[in-house]
Amino acid sequence: MTPTVELIRVRKSYGGFTAVDDLSFEIPPAHIFGLLGPNGAGKTSTIRMMVGITGPDSGCVRIFGEPFSRRALHRVGYLPEERGLYRRMTVGDNLVFLGRLAGLSVATAKERIGAWARRLEIADWIDRRVEELSKGMQQKIQFIAALLHDPDLIVMDEPFAGLDPVNTMQLKDVLVGLRTAGKSILFSTHRMDQVERLCDSICLIDRGKSVLQGSLGEIKAGNGRRFVQIDYEGDGRFLCGNPLVDSLNDYGNHAEIRLKPGADPQELLRTAARGLRVLRFQVMDPSLEQIFIDRIAGADD
Amino acid sequence: MTELSIHKVWIIAKREYLERVGTRSFLLSTFATPVFMGLLLIAPAMISASTARGIVSEGAGAARIVIACDNRALAELARGELIRHAGARYQPSVVSPASAGERERLDKLLDAGGIDGYVWLDAAARASRHVVFATALIGDFILQRRLGDALSYAFAADSMVKQGASAADVAATLEPVDLRAVRAGRPSSLYNAMRGAAVVLVLMFVMFFSLLSYGVMVMRSVMEEKHARISEVLLCAASAQELMTGKILGTGSVGLTQIAAWFAMAAFGASRSPYLRAAMTALDVGPSLIVYFVVFYILGYLLYSAIFASVGAIFNSIDEAQQWNFVVILPLIAASAMILPVATAPDSPLSLAVSIFPFCSPILMFERLAVHPPPLWQIALSLVLLVAAIGAAMLICGRIYRTGVLMYGKRPTIRELSRWLRHA
Repeated sequence: MTPTVELIRVRKSYGGFTAVDDLSFEIPPAHIFGLLGPNGAGKTSTIRMMVGITGPDSGCVRIFGEPFSRRALHRVGYLPEERGLYRRMTVGDNLVFLGRLAGLSVATAKERIGAWARRLEIADWIDRRVEELSKGMQQKIQFIAALLHDPDLIVMDEPFAGLDPVNTMQLKDVLVGLRTAGKSILFSTHRMDQVERLCDSICLIDRGKSVLQGSLGEIKAGNGRRFVQIDYEGDGRFLCGNPLVDSLNDYGNHAEIRLKPGADPQELLRTAARGLRVLRFQVMDPSLEQIFIDRIAGADD
Repeated sequence: MTELSIHKVWIIAKREYLERVGTRSFLLSTFATPVFMGLLLIAPAMISASTARGIVSEGAGAARIVIACDNRALAELARGELIRHAGARYQPSVVSPASAGERERLDKLLDAGGIDGYVWLDAAARASRHVVFATALIGDFILQRRLGDALSYAFAADSMVKQGASAADVAATLEPVDLRAVRAGRPSSLYNAMRGAAVVLVLMFVMFFSLLSYGVMVMRSVMEEKHARISEVLLCAASAQELMTGKILGTGSVGLTQIAAWFAMAAFGASRSPYLRAAMTALDVGPSLIVYFVVFYILGYLLYSAIFASVGAIFNSIDEAQQWNFVVILPLIAASAMILPVATAPDSPLSLAVSIFPFCSPILMFERLAVHPPPLWQIALSLVLLVAAIGAAMLICGRIYRTGVLMYGKRPTIRELSRWLRHA
């Protein structure tokens, strides 16, 4: 299947500063892709090249199977990191304007705005001016604006920034629904917990370079199952100095353990069962956050 | 360079237009400006008319002028001439002979406020014609001019009388010339220089402030979009050229709407007020002049708004941009300083030069068209140069705009700007 977006050895610099350095990845249809990285890693610069705001200095951006052209943009929805709405216009007028620019007729735009407003529970706000809205509310409006023209590629820069948990959940549901409908979604974030529950695959970038990419499952497997949590009764002191254990947080009846590379968690369980009454023993996937910190910190060394 | 979608330009321009035309400040400036202008035009005429009708009452407030002279006949001639021309505005009296003691008394009287001034015409003053007028009304240049005229008249009349001329002869010989200017080619229409100049000034004023305020409006609008990060959303849906073009056309249409409203109000005013009608017929504000006004306004606006759009894209706050605004409007200010020289010598080489210089031509070529139509080739040349300048400005400023609206944080150096130009 043709990937929706393909970045091939893309490089972009501003003045003397290289924002994106030899970056390649692809996003298939019906796929949620997470672009991760610390602040200033080059996420926004990467995104801007996918939505035609800037072009790469070298390398190639392909979109819907063809080299990038502005004609493809009517199939792309973009939610920028910062809110971009006319403050003195009403929500409805803002959305109609953006819908018209994206190629919709006024009637179609209004119809879709109505449907989205009901779905995201903001129908009462349509006739209000944007300046009366909270930041989170503006974020939802912007979200709708990006989706009005039913794009096949949806690019969102930090879509959940500033949203409360209820609204975050609402928008996540929308994104999952769009994936089911066959849309490709790329979003950038520095919040790992959001990615774990939503993304099919990720690309972690740091200083413009790809540090880690692939499907979420592969990445976690590749980084080893080295984390164990034990709830126990008894004397847990034997865990200190155990040859299997790399590091330990012991809370008396709960211990969080990181195993040494190559150590078998089953062996630890057997050892523990001999000395303790084990209430719960769980082998954990490393959290993405952990991988992220390891990789970024590793790059610093 | 991508092709321009007229449809998108239209959508952007329409939004810009509707947002601005509905604001209170637009309505206020549209309706308050002509009222103010009308008062400015009408008030002096009303005041002089009411003076002529004697509404300003005789005696009260009239300046008390003493003419002190050994030659009583001369003084009386001057007094009569002053009364004949200024009527009730002055209350001249004569003191004769003019002795040293008399002068002391007049000085005291002047200090005490008993009189407003005195003319000292002793033998030396009469011989040299250097006459001292001691007065509290030092700023009243009209009084001073009239007094000077009256004295010149008196000297001439006095010497004629001494040579034996009759009073009738004197009056006939010294009757001043009534100069009436008529527009070349239209001897039937009387040209009232004062009113004509006033209308030219009003049109210049409208041109100047419209170019300025709508140019600045484009700048603010670009800044607002940059500041609210709207540019980023829009640039995904439309190209930078479409955005800038739409914005300039939309805001410009607001300006044209305002000017159309002003012309309509002027036409209405002329149908109601004889003073306004007189002022407009004096200048032949006909359809062709209005067409020229609109053409030069549109072209001037396109030139300046493109520059203002790029200034808006470069800076992050109004404060920062303000200082640079000054540089942009410098040619406009220079043009307004040239209004008078061009009016008095519309066909001089200097007038030609400034009226074909694109940054000044919208004001100064239009002025020449209004006061003394220049040869056709000069009009054509100024239009060609103006259009060429607009093309260049759109190209250069479009590049700055495209890069600038996405650059946040510190403002760029000249070197960075030149890089934007090369790489955009």
